[in-house]
Formats: sequence, structure tokens, C-alpha cells
Amino acid sequence: MATYSSDRRSVLKIMGAIGATCAYPYAGDELFAQAAPEHQHLHAAAPHDATRFLTEVDFQTISRIADLIIPETNTPAASGAGVPAYIDMVIARDTEQQQLVADGLRWLDAEAGRQAGTKFMDLSEHVQIGILEPLCEAADAGDSLARNARFFALIKKLTADGYYTSKTGLIDELGYQGNAVLSNFPACVHEH
Amino acid sequence: MANKLYDVVVIGSGAGGGTLSARLAGLGAEVLVLEGGPKVDTRTDFNTHALPHEFPSRHIPIMKPGKPGFDGERSRGIGGKTMLWNAVALRFSQRDFKGRQHDGAGEDWPIDYADMAPYYDQIEREVGVCGNYDHLEDLPDGVFLPPIPMKCSDVLIKKGAEKLGIPVIHVRKATLSKATRTRPACHFCGNCMAGCDVVAKYNSADVHMFPALKTGKLTLRPNSIVHEIAVSDEARVSEVRYFDRETRAEAVARGRITVVSCACAQSVALLMMSKSSRFPAGLSNSSGELGKNFIPHINAGFEVFLEDLVGNPQGNDEGFLDHAYIPSFMHKQERDYPRSFGIQFNYQNHRAVGWARSIKGMGRAYKDEVKAKFPAYLTFSPYQEMLPNRDSFIDLDYDDPDAYGLPRARRHWKLSDADWKLHRDMKRKCADILLASKAKIHSVSADPSTNHEIGGCRMGADPRTSVVDAFCRSHDVPNLYVVDASVFPSASEKNPTLTIMALAARTADHIGDRLKKGEV
Repeated sequence: MATYSSDRRSVLKIMGAIGATCAYPYAGDELFAQAAPEHQHLHAAAPHDATRFLTEVDFQTISRIADLIIPETNTPAASGAGVPAYIDMVIARDTEQQQLVADGLRWLDAEAGRQAGTKFMDLSEHVQIGILEPLCEAADAGDSLARNARFFALIKKLTADGYYTSKTGLIDELGYQGNAVLSNFPACVHEH
Repeated sequence: MANKLYDVVVIGSGAGGGTLSARLAGLGAEVLVLEGGPKVDTRTDFNTHALPHEFPSRHIPIMKPGKPGFDGERSRGIGGKTMLWNAVALRFSQRDFKGRQHDGAGEDWPIDYADMAPYYDQIEREVGVCGNYDHLEDLPDGVFLPPIPMKCSDVLIKKGAEKLGIPVIHVRKATLSKATRTRPACHFCGNCMAGCDVVAKYNSADVHMFPALKTGKLTLRPNSIVHEIAVSDEARVSEVRYFDRETRAEAVARGRITVVSCACAQSVALLMMSKSSRFPAGLSNSSGELGKNFIPHINAGFEVFLEDLVGNPQGNDEGFLDHAYIPSFMHKQERDYPRSFGIQFNYQNHRAVGWARSIKGMGRAYKDEVKAKFPAYLTFSPYQEMLPNRDSFIDLDYDDPDAYGLPRARRHWKLSDADWKLHRDMKRKCADILLASKAKIHSVSADPSTNHEIGGCRMGADPRTSVVDAFCRSHDVPNLYVVDASVFPSASEKNPTLTIMALAARTADHIGDRLKKGEV
């Protein structure tokens, strides 16, 4: 039988559960990248600003992967919603993630070299997807992931978080209409 | 000021301390409230209507920039956790007060439903509780404002549950469905737990304490962190020692009566810190029971998609979070465990799309699937009552002090075999309801987790096995009271706050009587 002894982290979780994060039982304190205090009150970072962590080349590759995960439809792709800058901001605070991203990008170029003697970014979109899809399948399946699949899982997670918390993703794509003032709450009138 | 002798010093300003202090001031007592956190202006200080994209981190801070307030770990701030609660307001039933009589396990309260009923009535009138008169024996009706209509998604769950003979009712919340003289009705923005900036949702500061300031009897002292309750040789509280949160300047407060209402674990921690030669194991701990009998609510959780709503056009379904509730039903059925569970559901806020991470695939198909499932997503969170056991308790961690150098409260909990049986059955029954509602389960919690904190200063008739008596008075220290969920001898599966408030009102009347009779 498991014993749950409370260290400080679980205390924070207990209190968090009672407080504002109560509505998000699983994602809880990990739902969005939790803000370091210095990030909380900044205004939205301009694209391509000097504070970026990733190199330009890596930033472009991450942008491409994000756009292959969430492409343009009748709403913009991930890069059109500021997702690459969000990913950059999150991994800038985590050295483990930085290493995972560096290794992942190196693996992509090695795989591109093996398949076509070129770099990942020089491949056609079709071939890029062909390289990423097996990683996506492995990442979706879960347990004991290879490092390249862990890299993809991280980028997919951050792309989903970044996109669906953006105005483009939440409001334009998903059609979120909450946070509004209603005089009455409409009763359900559908035939269920 | 330091030398002023108040009638009552109240430590903490949440559901317990806020209700009690306002009521005592109304009865004519001179009351001082010491609150560890800052004063907060509900109307201007919370990020109530923010959306994630307004912040580079996509994390919405609780407070607006530069506004002092809730730090997340402890709910320090005027109003305590009532500022950020979800406002579910359920009465306990006679079964909840007499669980041992009902199923032979755990502890009975030394009071009955009949003792509490008049106080539930009064509190419901004061705070405004919306709900439907359901005539359920196990979830007594109260004094209700009209219920809020259920969401489409609630109706689907209701139809599914009813196929299994399980009733689904309108939620009961301390949120106004009709305006009062001083507070507007809810406007359904869905941001209840981000701090309700119009006070349609009850909080103890705006509804109880601030109006009570007009009596001239109530003094609020925010930013005052109490670290010790000192006692005299006669085992009476002599003074309350605190420091200013910002300047750290030490001060003392004196009252004929002292009330500890710091929210369960923090109340236990304060009593444990208050060691003296008279009480070397912590104040009011001659029984050795202080910190024991920790019985938080135990949760499981599901994320689901209602098949009937997949691909629907998105509407505005935020409402005031959950609009429906599934009361305990297992207590009436044959089962191999004591106690029961209730189910809160559909209280997610749709701006949180964390589940999109775990939708399989990539590309256009992935994007389309997230969009199709968005209107169909809901959470399902059953809560169970756990029974006290020797491995579940609160103690102090002196090795990891907080920012003020005070030891932290540390929670330990472990489910007994009976608790585990209940937990597994709770998950099975939830899965049955979801299946009957054509809800596809997206994720299930692997391990139990805790929510509402309850226990640690058990109320009881016997001073050898409990910390406070039936009026929340310390068995050891006649002018010391504890008023919050720490005194609950058994937890019920129902949300604790309405009972904390009713208990606070009852204790206030009892203290008022003692003051009037000159007993203290």
C-alpha cells in the first residue's frame, strides 16, 4: 500500500488544488509552463527579439516542427500564433530540456543526412513529415521513450500549450466564447 | 493599542474567522482579527478576467501586477480561501454527523444535525446560496435562491446517471442567482476561482467582515503573522504573539478569548509551535491528539469527451463552473466499506486546453480533432470521505522553514484497506456513469489525491481522545477556541465550507453568551 508523505512540493499541490487550480485536476500545476516571477508581468515578447535563447537556425527548425504539428488551415499555423517564441522562452529556463532539444535537432539532421544527404530543413515537407511521424507515434504511445521521441513529445507538448493558450488558438481556432458577461445562463433546449 | 484587552482575538479571516468575527462584533463584542496576509480589494486586485495569452508564460498570476495578495502556498490574505473557492455550499446530514452509528466505523460528532440546522439557515440567508429543493434525506435542503440551469453537458450526464438510478441535482453554491441589496447576481464569466470581482460569489471579507466594520467593534489587522499563543500558569491564553509581514516588527495582542481559524493544517501548526512548560507537546495537546486524525477529502479524476457534443459548434458554456452535482448514493447500497463519495463534475474552465497535449497524431487531423473535441470536454471528480488512521497526521517540519523562519505544516496521509475499497469502487461507479452518458474517457487519475483539508484538532466529548469540545473550545485551555475544518471528527464526502461557517456562527453565539454572563 502506498504511503503518501508530504514533502514541500506535495504541500504546494494540496494547497494549489484547493485554490485557483482546482478546475484543472490533472494538468494542475503543470498545465502551462509555470511562470518564474520575472516572467509574469512582462508584455508579450516581440518576435525575433534579442532575448531569444535558441540560435536562428534552431529557432527556424523548431518553428517548422511546430507548424507540421499544427499547420495552417483556415486559421494560422503554430508559428503564426507565436508558438516558437513561447517554446524558446520555456526551454530557456530548463537545462535538461535544452539538452534534449539540442540532441533532438542533431538527430534530425543526422537522419536527414542518412536519408537524403542533406539537413532536415532542406528536405521537402513530405519527407520531414515522414521523419517526424514515427516519433509522434512513439511519443503518443508513451512509456520508456527513446531520446528522439522524448524530444518530439516535448515539442508537441509545448506546441499544444503555446497554440491553445494563444489568442489565435483559443479564440480564433477553437471559438472560445467564455469570459463574457451574461444576464442569464441559457438552459439547454436541445433534444439530448 | 498593544495593551488594549479585546473581548476576542481571532487569528485568521476565512470562512471560519471571518464569519465568527463579524457575528461577534454584531453581538457587541470588541473583536480583533489578525490576518497573516494583506488586505485585498476584490474589485481591483485579482486578475479575474485575464486570458492566458496576455502573459508570455501563459500562466495567469492570481494578483494583478503590484497588488499584494495570495502567494499560492498559504491562502494568506483577507478572506482566506473564500476569495478563491468554488463556492459549493452543501449541508451535512445526520448521517455525516453520526457516521459511526450509521456504519460502525470512524467517529461521531458530539453534535447532531438539529444543533446545526438553525445556523445553516442563518448562514444561507446571509451569504446567499442558490440551489434546488430536492428533498433528499442525505443532503438536506436549505434556504435557497433559485437554481442556475444545467448546461447541455450536465443534462447528458444526468440522463446517463438516471439510467443507473443515480440522481443528478443542481449544484448548491454560495453565489447569487439573484441580486441582493448590496451584491449583483452572477454574470457567468466562469472565473469564480480567479477571485470574483463583483462579489456575486461569497467571500468572508466583503460579505461578513467589511460590513461588520460599521459596528465600530471590529478591528482588522492584516499582514500580522501569528507565531505563538502564550499561556499563563493557570493554562489560560495570556497573549498572542505576532509580527508584521513586511517590517517583521514583533507585537502582541490580548483578548479574553482567543480563536484559532487558520485553515486546518495552519491551525494545527500554530498550536504545535506554541510550546510552553505547561504544554511541551504543543498548546491544547494534553491528549496527544493534536495533529492526529487528519482526514482530507480523497479525489479521483477523469477527463472525458461527451460523444453527443463532439463536433458541435462552440457556445459559451462557462457559466459559474459546475452547475450540477451527484450526491452520495452508495451509503444506501450494500457495499464492503464504510462511508461514501459524491461527485463534482464539469467544473473545468474551457480556456484550459491542457488535454490537447495528449490528443494523438500531428498535422491537420490533429488540429481538427482538438477543435471537434473542444465543446465536448469535461472533468469528473469524485470526492470520498476517508477514516482517521494513525498514519495520517499533520506535524511540523523544522528543517525546511518558510520565508519567515517558521516551521512548515507537513501533511501525511495513507489510505486504509477500507479507504482503498471505497476508492476503487468510486472509480468503477464513475466509469459506469460515464459509459451510460456516452462519455469517452480520455484520462483517469492513477493515484488518489487530496483536496479539502480536514481534521487535526478533533472535536469530542472526551478530553483524552479529542482536542476541543462540542463548542470548539479547547479541553485544556478554557479561553481558547479552534474554528475551522480541523475540528471535524469525520469529514463527510460533502464540501466542508458551509459547515465551517455554520459552526463559526454557533461558536460565536456561544462565546457571546459567555461574555454576556461574565464567564471570561
